[in-house]
This record gives sequence, C-alpha cells and structure tokens, in this order.
Amino acid sequence: MTDDNNDTTNVQHIYRNKTDKRILKKNPWRDYRLHFTVLVLAVIAMFIGPIEIELTKGMTVSIMPLLYTMILGLAFYLAKPITWIERKQSRVAEGAMMLFIGILIAKLAVSSGQSMHLLFEMGPALMLQELGHLATILIALPVALLLGFKRETIGMTNSIGREPEVAVVVDKYGFNSPESRGIFALFIVGTMIGTVFISFFTSICVSVLPLHPFAFAMASGVGSASMNAASIGPTLAAFPALETQIEAFAGFSNLLSFSVGIYIVIFLALPLTEKLYYILEPKIGRKAVVKEEDDINV
Amino acid sequence: MSEFIDGSENVSVHGIFNWIFLLAIFSIITVIGNYIGYKHPIQDSLVGMGILSLITLAGVWMERKLPLNISSIIYISVIGIALAFPTMPTSEFVSYYVSKVELLSIVTVFLAYVGIGMGKSWNEFKSLGGRAIIITILVIASTYLGSAIVAHIVLVMTGVPA
Repeated sequence: MTDDNNDTTNVQHIYRNKTDKRILKKNPWRDYRLHFTVLVLAVIAMFIGPIEIELTKGMTVSIMPLLYTMILGLAFYLAKPITWIERKQSRVAEGAMMLFIGILIAKLAVSSGQSMHLLFEMGPALMLQELGHLATILIALPVALLLGFKRETIGMTNSIGREPEVAVVVDKYGFNSPESRGIFALFIVGTMIGTVFISFFTSICVSVLPLHPFAFAMASGVGSASMNAASIGPTLAAFPALETQIEAFAGFSNLLSFSVGIYIVIFLALPLTEKLYYILEPKIGRKAVVKEEDDINV
Repeated sequence: MSEFIDGSENVSVHGIFNWIFLLAIFSIITVIGNYIGYKHPIQDSLVGMGILSLITLAGVWMERKLPLNISSIIYISVIGIALAFPTMPTSEFVSYYVSKVELLSIVTVFLAYVGIGMGKSWNEFKSLGGRAIIITILVIASTYLGSAIVAHIVLVMTGVPA
C-alpha cells in the first residue's frame, strides 16, 4: 500500500503514513502506562502553572506549563530508572501525536470560524506574512556558509524544515544527497530544541518588540504544529484580552502554512536558496569541514 | 535516519476504534488538566473535547476515504471554521463548549506526547554538532521574526488599530 516512493512523492501524506503505521496496526490505547504518565505530567504542569522571570527591566520570559510536560516527557524517556517509557512507547506517542495535532487544529479552527470577519479585514497581512518566512534564507544561509557547510546549506536554510519540507527536499535531491543531509539535521535539531527555543524567543520578542499583537499571532504559524503551540503560549499570556483573535490568527496562519506553505517552498524558497547559494558560496564559502562527521549518520 | 520517511508497513482497516479510544484518552487527560489549571466545569469541557474529537475524527476519516489528495489538517480546519461560522445554527453551541477548553490545556498534553515521541531522536541529535544547532536557531528565529515584521508592516499600512 505504501512504500518509500509514495511517501516522498505524496508530500501531503507524510503525516498520514506515519499515523497509520503507528496507530492503525496495534492497539496504542492499550499502552495505559504511557497515557497515565502523560496524565501525571499534565497534572504536575498545571499545578505549577506559568512562571515569569524578569531578565532585565521590561524584559520578561514566561515559562509555560507546556514546556514542563515536554521536557519531563523527554526526561522520562531518557531516564534509566523509568522502564515503562521506552522506544516502543516513544513510537506510539509519536503516532498518537500526529492524531492529536487534529484536536489542536480543530480548536484553532473554531476560533477562526468565530472570527471569520477578521480574515476579510486582515487578509493581506495574513497572506504576505507567509512570505516573511523567506527571511531565513537571507539570514541563515550566509551564516551556514561561513560555518563551513557546503551543499547541506541548501537543505538547511530554505525553510523551517518539518515533515512536508523534508519530503520536498528528499524528493528533489535524493535521499543520500548533501541537501537531504542538511534538512535531516535541521529536522532533528528542530525537533529537539525548536519548541523550547521558539517559546522563549516568542516571550522575549513579545516583551521587547513593539509589534502589533496580531503580528505575533500570525507569526506563530511557522509550519510546525508543536512550535506553533509553543509560540501561542507566551503570546496569549502577554495579551490576555485578545484571546480569541490571537487563536484565530494563529489558526489562519497555520492553515496557510500547511496548505500554501509547501508550494512557497517548492516554487520560491528552494529556487531562491539555490540562487543565493551559487552567488555567495564562491565568495564566503569555507573549506568543507563538515562532511566526515555528518556521513556517520547516514 | 530514514525513520521519518519510511512507510513500508501495511495498514489494517479496523483502525477507527483505535482513533476513537486514543481521542477519548486524550480528551480525558486534557479535561483533567483544564480543570486543574483553569477551573472550567468538567462537564462543559468534556462536551468541548467531544466536539473537537468528532471534528478530528471526521477530518482524519475523510482524508483516507475521500479520493481527493488533501491533508486531514485542511479538512479539520474547514470543518471547524464551518461549524463555528457565525451564521451557522451550530455556531453558538460549538463556540460555547469549545471555549471551555483552553488552548493551553490542549497544548500542554499534546507536548507531553511530543516530548516522549522525540526521545527516539536523542542520539541522532547528540551526534550533530553545535554548528547545526546554531543554524537551526537562526532558521527558526528568522522565520518567526520575518513573518512577524511583514505582518506588522502590512497591518499598520492597512490601518488596523492595535
């Protein structure tokens, strides 16, 4: 039914295949210890509640309960004494997560539906902010070249690098290409630190930058459900009066990122990244220092 | 490394019960967290989670059964928007109960699964150098800020009051 080729050509269905593999085959709900652990984590996190730390005057970082559960979840997996959260549970959790994205999206969609009039008023801002994602090419690409990355750069700096983008790059350059190696690295590091990072980054931006609250809400739809979730947290905490609108814009922006975003990557971001790479690489490219250590992974 | 793009296992057709059970478990955990964190009445937020679960189920089911090549995320968004659209008869009911489930309660439980799920990638993560971390941080920060700044400029230009 599914095979490697289908996976890489059917970009849209990468989530589906992953969910089906993990959820439809076994009976994942039977893994009661996994779910019970999640319950305990959620209860602990909710009891502690958000913590606000004032770094300097006027610059606060809020640590949301959503970070506690995620970091504790990871810690439980890594901790040796906890034997009931292992690789198998991790796979089940990952498959279940793909389904639970649906709940998150549904919640945002209901807020979006209630605030549909906003879409008509602020449609231009929503559309154009998707193009703001291209900033990553201008900023990350030169740095990657200076750090000694070669063609990995093209995979690493064209976009946020979640599943759909990984599929596009693998499809275009082949599984064993340096470009794919680059986006795999981005995918893995993004998985591990992206959510934590964007949560802190958002709370700093919200407290320091005098931008429109809706701009922060729209920006949170970077194209990854968990990063989106982690970014809405501090935004909601900073503008509690605008809850429904912020959720609505996050929802619209997410929807755009998931539907149009992939075409922006294919038709705009990747060609642009390549172009900039060929212009800049001869000028600021370093010796390839990264090849050997990266090959070990593949 | 190839784990997130292989898909060679076949899929059985009896999966819908697995989805329902998983969504039920997720709903119960979220409602408990929602009660502890925000003190919303348990009955109301259970109904809210029920609505969200049904929307999700419909979206996931449609993705697999309809012949169109559309991701479930799009189906779910469209159904959710349609049900809550102010002129729809379902609007008031759906909006009321769904608003009893805080987004952050859902996210907190969701990210617990994400945390456990990402444990598998830990070794691969450790083998990647600091350079990859620098680039990833730059990519995420500039993607976020890029769209925040563009959105802000367009909002100000189109005269949206803050």
